[in-house]
Amino acid sequence: MVKRGKFEIMRDILRIIQDNKNSIKPTPLLRRSGLSSAGFKEYYKDLLEKQMIKEISADNDKYIILTEKGFKFIERYKTIMEFIEEFEL
Amino acid sequence: MRPPIEFLFPPEIGAELIYSFVIVVCSLMIYYATKEMYELSSYKGIKYFRQAFLFFAIAYFFRYSIRFLLLLFNMSDMPEISPMFVGSISLFIFLYSSSMAIFYLLYSVMWKRWSHSKLKIYLFNLLALVIALIGTFLRGIETNLALNMILLIFICFVLFIAYKDSKNKQKGKSLFIIYLILFIFWVLNVIDILIPRFLQIYRLVIYIVSILLFMIILYKVLKKTGD
Repeated sequence: MVKRGKFEIMRDILRIIQDNKNSIKPTPLLRRSGLSSAGFKEYYKDLLEKQMIKEISADNDKYIILTEKGFKFIERYKTIMEFIEEFEL
Repeated sequence: MRPPIEFLFPPEIGAELIYSFVIVVCSLMIYYATKEMYELSSYKGIKYFRQAFLFFAIAYFFRYSIRFLLLLFNMSDMPEISPMFVGSISLFIFLYSSSMAIFYLLYSVMWKRWSHSKLKIYLFNLLALVIALIGTFLRGIETNLALNMILLIFICFVLFIAYKDSKNKQKGKSLFIIYLILFIFWVLNVIDILIPRFLQIYRLVIYIVSILLFMIILYKVLKKTGD
């Protein structure tokens, strides 16, 4: 199996949230991300810091939703990767 | 006798203005076209790439102001302009920004291969400061030629290593050739400013090739960013 790159993992996590009608609890997100708990925590923290996702509370539960930046990242992911490759960055 | 308008704005100034304007605009367009990508990814390679073109824009702006002063006061060489405070400041900023532009562009392709530390950025700043100080205050022709040749050899060496390690040699080849020509013409631009009489007859060629190179890079950027 090919190892996923950092941006690919970020995109995959964001896509899981998007495909789940933009609202998912942390545990199913961890399970579906295919990452270890430690790895997931790292990416989760990073996505929160980059303001691509945010946590909301509803019915005493914590949900994760995408921000506008998160949607934009999914949309521009291919362009970013092609740009990095084109200019050997 | 020159007509008054030509006295105030000789044709050489117009050519310089167009040349600098095109390159400043190309550099700023590259900088702003990649803004969203950097904001989304916070990717260091994109950051260094953007900073290189921001420094190119600053450098070419000050390059124009130096040429403008030289032409306006009918001076033929940098030593004549040096006593003027504005001339010295412009030359210093031009040399510093241009060196930083080159270092950042090199670093954008090398940062993953080199162990990442802030120390390298400080080192680049220090080196650019030394180059700017030598160029501004020790304006001997031999010193500046030697300095630029050393810089060019260093750049060629780093580019060769980057190309050797490149994952996609076919695709990377055209990029490294563009960068190599860009660096060669950049050094020629610096020599042209420090020792104007040295490359006087080739000036038009330097201008045309430099503009073409920036336009090629801008085209590649816009094609990829879709702007």
